[in-house]
Amino acid sequence: MDLNWMMAVAILLPLVAGILVFIIRQYHIRGLIVILTAIALIINSILLMLHGPDTYTPTSHYWGLAITILDYAMLLFYIYAGLSLKNWLVLIFALTQIIPLAYWEFGMGASKALEEIKPAFVFDHLSIVMVLVISIVGSLITIFALRYMYDHEHHKEIEKSRQSRFLFWLVMFLGAMNGLVMANNLLWLYFFWEVTTLCCFELIAHDLTKEAINNGARALWMNSIGGTTMILAMIYLFAKGGGTAEMLTLESIIKAGGNQAMLLLPVALMCFTGFIKAAQFPFQTWLLGAMVAPTPVSALLHSSTMVKAGVYLVLRLAPAFAGSYLGIMVAICGAFTFFAASVLAIAQTTGKRVLAYSTIANLGLIIACAGINSPLAIAAAILLIIFHAVSKCLMFLCAGTIEHLVWSREIEDMEGLAEKFPVTTFITAIGILSMFLPPFGMLLGKWLALESVFAVPLAAILFVIASAATMVFWAKWLGRLLQVLPRLGRKFESLSLSYSVPLWLLVLGIFVVGIGVAPVYQRFVSFAVNNVVAATEAFAAGWNIVVPSASVAAGGTGALIGSFPVWPLYIVFGVAIVLPLIFVTVKPGELRPVYLCGEQVGGVDTDEWITTADQKAKLQLGGFYWQGATGEGAVNPWFYTVSIALLVILFAVVVGVSL
Amino acid sequence: MNQWWIAIIAIIVAPIIGGFLAGIDRKITARLQGRYGPPIVQPFYDFFKLLGKSRIATSRMQFVWIYGYLVFMITCVVFLVLKLDLLLLIFLLGFAGISFVLGGFSSKSPYSHFGANRELMQILSYEPVLLLMALGVYAQNGSFMISEIVKPGAAPLLPSLWPIFIAVLLVLTIKLRKSPFDLSTSHHGHQELVKGIMTEFSGPYYALITLTEWYEIVLVLGLVALFWANPLWVGIIIALAAFVLELIIDNIAARMTVGWMVKFTWAVGLVLCVLNIAYLYLIKGGA
Repeated sequence: MDLNWMMAVAILLPLVAGILVFIIRQYHIRGLIVILTAIALIINSILLMLHGPDTYTPTSHYWGLAITILDYAMLLFYIYAGLSLKNWLVLIFALTQIIPLAYWEFGMGASKALEEIKPAFVFDHLSIVMVLVISIVGSLITIFALRYMYDHEHHKEIEKSRQSRFLFWLVMFLGAMNGLVMANNLLWLYFFWEVTTLCCFELIAHDLTKEAINNGARALWMNSIGGTTMILAMIYLFAKGGGTAEMLTLESIIKAGGNQAMLLLPVALMCFTGFIKAAQFPFQTWLLGAMVAPTPVSALLHSSTMVKAGVYLVLRLAPAFAGSYLGIMVAICGAFTFFAASVLAIAQTTGKRVLAYSTIANLGLIIACAGINSPLAIAAAILLIIFHAVSKCLMFLCAGTIEHLVWSREIEDMEGLAEKFPVTTFITAIGILSMFLPPFGMLLGKWLALESVFAVPLAAILFVIASAATMVFWAKWLGRLLQVLPRLGRKFESLSLSYSVPLWLLVLGIFVVGIGVAPVYQRFVSFAVNNVVAATEAFAAGWNIVVPSASVAAGGTGALIGSFPVWPLYIVFGVAIVLPLIFVTVKPGELRPVYLCGEQVGGVDTDEWITTADQKAKLQLGGFYWQGATGEGAVNPWFYTVSIALLVILFAVVVGVSL
Repeated sequence: MNQWWIAIIAIIVAPIIGGFLAGIDRKITARLQGRYGPPIVQPFYDFFKLLGKSRIATSRMQFVWIYGYLVFMITCVVFLVLKLDLLLLIFLLGFAGISFVLGGFSSKSPYSHFGANRELMQILSYEPVLLLMALGVYAQNGSFMISEIVKPGAAPLLPSLWPIFIAVLLVLTIKLRKSPFDLSTSHHGHQELVKGIMTEFSGPYYALITLTEWYEIVLVLGLVALFWANPLWVGIIIALAAFVLELIIDNIAARMTVGWMVKFTWAVGLVLCVLNIAYLYLIKGGA
């Protein structure tokens, strides 16, 4: 297929489909459009992968003009939003974007130069990996959203349906993300960046409750700070480049590499932009606030879009801070977020907040890998992006499904879910296990990260504590689901196809990508790693992942640094968990009540017991959350202090070097 | 093919060694408490008797997780004898531990839940220390492979990693569930929570847990022995000495609280590891 068409489908089709679903208010036709768009996006992303890396510049000049106009339209809308919501932060950070941008484009005369940047789009293997993640995982979420929003509005008894509007922003989001990961012209990158911020704001505020609007506004102003620093970075590059647009492409920044000290400040500013979008400490609150939105939004923000734009940008810029102190600081900032968010997740009582902190933690891990900047670390980062997208998407869709089964987001309300909804629990359990245990992909990524982390020992120490905390909060949650009374004869629940198809496809995805990680790595991740750092090392041998030492990579003989036998471990998983799950049966006669010191009331499956004064009481169990030790109130002051200090050090180092 | 045989032999031999160590444990503990104690092979008698008992259940999933516990523990032992990746071994040990915890969570039993939550805190205590041990080995050898530690001519780790070794001894106490860290489940009848996480397991499945513990003893003592892998007999003697030391500590220490355990292992164990790694990093420079 023609490249023109592929680009159009990737970026413009979601917009067109969004407008269509916005106009057509008929549930089935709308659903059909969304499903067809999803299929088209998935096929298109695969075609793009087969096409391979390329560059693209639209022939018409009107695109540049359109983007400039839309830029200002969006910023004016932010000003309007700030005024109408009386949210001064939104207003201030809209002004800090629009004023420098206008001055730069018209006062300094950059707009002419910007329109002539060629190529406008560059997509290499890293972009292709991102497009695949966005198109495949994101599309599954839009399908899930069809039924979810229907149920959502029925449950809330909303009279006037706003599903069309919701789907418009949701579907359009995918197009903006596809544009973002392929853009080369910095101004276009900035444009797509702002579109994702706008979509995010609209989606978070969708329910129009006070909390939703406030949290949406918070996401807006925080990401507007990121937009501001990106504009500052562009102006700096323009001014230092002698008033030409020469340095205003990602390609030229990367090619200049870490050699030019003058590039360090704009690169640091853009990394900062990425930090905010990736909800790194101290900017984590916007992503936590995003939890009020309907679950498909959370799934989209956390897995394939929005936050992944943040880590993508840092990863993309990695060559520009190779070997500098900026790289080390990026690694420490990321590792600190990984640590802090993992610790905070232990104290969370709401399922979605656990997921949110876990996302923030994993994004920190990916950013830390980008900061470490060795071939091994970059490989870990890209694999983590892929695996995290699949697993986290599954977890959010599970959280959404559970929410619509028990109508609560609290972990305590999910107690004993295994008894009531065994299928959902099974899928959720797979999702949870895939987040933190071997042989699954996330653990593989973490393992790779740890094998590379010794270059920055401080990050290494934060990694191991975070890693241990991760085990605690996931196991704790899964434990609550599994708690059942001694009885048999569970009935499998049936889920709507719009729920079950994406869920099962994602479960399949976890296993297919997980078992096939070595071929997947060889086919395209290794090329993507090569786009970031020149990797001479091959980290896959057959079906296994191996980490050769530098001497082996250089063609000599020597020992391995590490090895991860992938398929043998999946066989172990099968023998350890899957086979017992299928073959272990319990006969009714074998059931006994639990041990309650002989104070039970009645038969096997009662959970009543005799308490003081011979009163009957129901046995109640609860989870531990250790909020006094790891809750937000206890640790946030420390975490804020340290994370802000780290950012200050980061900029101090950069300014010190570049002045 | 050779590797297969090593793995199979290890799978058969490890529990036999573990069972005998458990027997020695009981004997020495009895003597320390002024009792005569059972014969050394008593754990095997117990094991076969438990296997023959009829099965009772409080939920189906608890059985499933026990298989997970056993199989992943065996995998760890196989990783050790095949000299594979140490870091991955520790993650696999994590799966084994988590399986056990989930087994405890799988029935609505207050004692079992108490134990499971405490077991989780035990994991939180020892996991970072073990991971840092792997990093320390990397700092010394430039590789995470156990084969690099035991290869002929490799320098013993203990002289340069002795602070980490002390931290690993702490882990050993937690892993063997000895006082003061016998929190999730205990062999001593006088504790406030005796069987904890194991409350709802009985008969053949309790036998499986016992079997897993035998593998675990061999595994963790094997990890201790790695600190002096050339010649290996020195390492084995060090490991056995550490084992006896644990038994003595077990009998002279009282159980502490969970919060104390986390604070203590982090304050002592983690700090020792961190200092050790920082020193090695400064000496050797970045990787």
